[in-house]
Amino acid sequence: MAVTVRLPGALRDAVGGDNKVTADGRTLGEVFADIERRHPGFRERVLDEEGRLRTYVNVYIGETDARTSGGLDAPVPQGSEVMVIPAMAGGVR
Amino acid sequence: MREAIVAHARDAGPVECCGLVAAHEGVPTRVVRCANVADTPAVRYRIDPREQLAAFRAMDDAGEELFAIYHSHPATTPYPSSTDRGEAFYPEAVYILVSLRSGEPELRAYRISADPPGSAKAVREVPLRAG
Repeated sequence: MAVTVRLPGALRDAVGGDNKVTADGRTLGEVFADIERRHPGFRERVLDEEGRLRTYVNVYIGETDARTSGGLDAPVPQGSEVMVIPAMAGGVR
Repeated sequence: MREAIVAHARDAGPVECCGLVAAHEGVPTRVVRCANVADTPAVRYRIDPREQLAAFRAMDDAGEELFAIYHSHPATTPYPSSTDRGEAFYPEAVYILVSLRSGEPELRAYRISADPPGSAKAVREVPLRAG
């Protein structure tokens, strides 16, 4: 099932420079695995060593925050838009 | 644009303000104030991710693109800290810092990017046009 994945910011480097890719999968984990197959290295940019979403990466499936709906098990309905948004953050300490 | 960012920094007072600047075909169009949801907003900023999502959608709908990400340093220099560099994930954007450490607000703009991707991030100051 095809979904659109949008990648603003530095993550576009991980998929060859486009800020939008099409991927297949019924869950967020399957969608990420599909992108990883075509763009090796993508997975480690968004997931930590334990396979969890990196703290500075926010993922929305439509309007739903993936962290609150199962993380990588979050369902991704056909035709939905997945936004993978790096945090905008910093600080003097 | 400069006035709007300085006004936001002044309104936020001792805590860091943060927000975005949208542009159309490279020309800045509007300043989007965002909430700082960092745990310690006096020394950190983190733009509310929901506001980020809404801003990206609104820019898309309006045919705009992200031009800049701004935040204030209420008491320190307008230069990106090591945390600012480490947490800078938007090489396509200009990072604007406004310092209120003295009576006169100081604005500076930077590109923060790793070139090639994966290398250490470098900071390069870029000119900030008036307006």
